[in-house]
Amino acid sequence: MIGTLTIAWRNLWRTRRRTVISMSAIGLGLALVVIYGGLVSRLMGDAKEQLDTTGLGHFEVTAAGWRQHRSGKLTIADLDAKLQDLPVPASAEVSVRVLSRGLLAGARGNEAVEVHGVDWQRERAVALYLREIRQGAVPADDDAHGILVGEQLAERLKLQVGHKLRLTVQRADGEMGAALFRVRGVFHTLSPGIGQRRVLISRAAAAELLGVGGSAHQIVVQIDRAADASRWAGEARAKLGPTVEVLTYADIYPIFEAMESLVNGAILVGSIFVYFLVGLGILNTMLMSVLERTREFGVMQALGTRPGGVLRMVLAESFWIATLSVALGLGIGLSFTWLGSRSALLDFSEQMGEGIEFGGTVMRAAFLTEFSVRAALLPALYVYLMALLVALYPAWRVSRMRPVDALRAG
Amino acid sequence: MPAVEVVEVEKHYQAGATTVRALAGVSLTVEKGEFMAIAGPSGSGKTTLLNLIGALDTPSAGALRIDGVDLAGMSRKQLADLRRDKVGFVFQAYNLIPVLTAAENAEYVLELKHMPRAARRTRIGQLFAELGIGELLDAWPGKMSGGQQQRVAVARAIASMPAVVLADEPTANLDQVTGKALIDMMHRLNHEHGVTFIFSTHDPMVLAQAERVVRLVDGKIASDERRGETVAGAVAAPVA
Ligand SMILES: Nc1ncnc2c1ncn2[C@@H]1O[C@H](COP(=O)(O)OP(=O)(O)OP(=O)(O)O)[C@@H](O)[C@H]1O
Ligand SMILES: [Mg+2]
Repeated sequence: MIGTLTIAWRNLWRTRRRTVISMSAIGLGLALVVIYGGLVSRLMGDAKEQLDTTGLGHFEVTAAGWRQHRSGKLTIADLDAKLQDLPVPASAEVSVRVLSRGLLAGARGNEAVEVHGVDWQRERAVALYLREIRQGAVPADDDAHGILVGEQLAERLKLQVGHKLRLTVQRADGEMGAALFRVRGVFHTLSPGIGQRRVLISRAAAAELLGVGGSAHQIVVQIDRAADASRWAGEARAKLGPTVEVLTYADIYPIFEAMESLVNGAILVGSIFVYFLVGLGILNTMLMSVLERTREFGVMQALGTRPGGVLRMVLAESFWIATLSVALGLGIGLSFTWLGSRSALLDFSEQMGEGIEFGGTVMRAAFLTEFSVRAALLPALYVYLMALLVALYPAWRVSRMRPVDALRAG
Repeated sequence: MPAVEVVEVEKHYQAGATTVRALAGVSLTVEKGEFMAIAGPSGSGKTTLLNLIGALDTPSAGALRIDGVDLAGMSRKQLADLRRDKVGFVFQAYNLIPVLTAAENAEYVLELKHMPRAARRTRIGQLFAELGIGELLDAWPGKMSGGQQQRVAVARAIASMPAVVLADEPTANLDQVTGKALIDMMHRLNHEHGVTFIFSTHDPMVLAQAERVVRLVDGKIASDERRGETVAGAVAAPVA
């Protein structure tokens, strides 16, 4: 076989060093795009999907105005009917909370806290820290005096399982209310803020303490994909009427979307930059090799190769450079993203602690990557397109030379 | 039908403000089976004429017919096809394609004509054997001597049985002995297979082997001799 691709392949290896250098440069560029993309999409994915690190959920239902005033009086009217009517996918997790600010007093001091009165089983599904109890256990369902505190709070107040605490709150009727609780467990959380301020008691106990009866302040819904949040929230809004407010995580923390578009923009700019360099690399390589070999193209034309054949010959060479570069780039890029999906390639835990708080969620400071062959194929395709595109110029230039001029060259 | 017909051909080059008349009205007919040399001093237009006959360049005026096909108005693609089908080239600098072996160089032309692989191989094998270069089949151009490369170049030029083989100073890069051997080989091909050759040269030894010598001076045909006689009808211009 002495077809175009064979000749192009052999020509590539005449300037072995140049081929290896440009292939490595282009391949590393591609690898960088793949690794960067894998890192960022895992990061953004984790940030959006794992809202249970803070118990935020994908959307929430509250009484209208609750987010603004945080008043204990603003409970959801007809809670049970609303829960019945709430349109959510079958796989959704739903938790109901009675919420309040309060003051926790122990033997070693006082701390301002935010009280979450929850149904333990339901809350477990939407709040990661309920699955990370480090001392003791989650209180039993009928435990009216059990309280869970975070590690940081336990540290500050020197709390142990079994210690007694007094929780003081402002009741829905405006009066002060207080009750005694006993520490049943200490939870771990990625978020130091939550670890220091959040305490959990049973919903029944909270309702009793606050005097809100069978009602509650917040319904938290967690679905499978963050991308579907606004659709389901929209349906809930339509179904539940104006007495309630339905907000997605992105409504509550606009920084999510802002951050995402910022990151996507950064990826785009970075990728364009890399592809630009890839293009320059291929253009340089092809121009050099075409100009050096102008006379050979003249010989080919003299032997009867059509201008289109010459064009194809140059494009074929570019195709091979792209193929080698893509093979190298995908090899490196996918290896790294695969390794990175198992154990963190970038770990800032030492410097920043286990978690980095960001817009209502917490990311692990040990950054994993997303391993996705599909996601890597697009940048690979771009390398091919770029290679073909930039090779068109030298190819066109040499193919339209008159054979007599090409033969005189070099 | 003649292999080559050149009718009142002019070729002008623009060199700054002045126009160089590289060919100034050349008419020439080369019959099939001729073994013809183009002679003349440097700058007399030998290369220019061969390039025009080989459809590598286009004339400023006049007509060219190769194997009866008029080149006027042909597209670049049609000219490429014409070269592929009707013209073979032997260059001064051999110009083998360095990434192809000797056999592949010769095969390349046949592949352009879409000859099946097996037929190509057979044909090239026979041709190389006949030319006594069978041992060079798988050799790379870079590993061959000049004489070997030029023999392979001749094989490549005649592989597709063109109407005419053009050779611009084919022996200029070879020593006397090798050059003579090459011309002998070309001559044998001309005798035994009727291959039409037109070659240019400065070398009197090479000229002596030609059966017809066309002498160019200042872009005009000064003489046209066959085996020592001047052929009547050639445009004889006075030597300046
Ligand atoms: N591309 C060109 N541009 C300008 N002038 C040219 C070009 N090619 C040839 N010429 C001029 O045309 C004339 C004929 O040149 P040509 O190369 O055909 O001569 P030649 O007989 O082959 O000479 P030599 O024996 O040195 O090879 C010369 O005056 C040359 O300078
Ligand atoms: Mg010349």
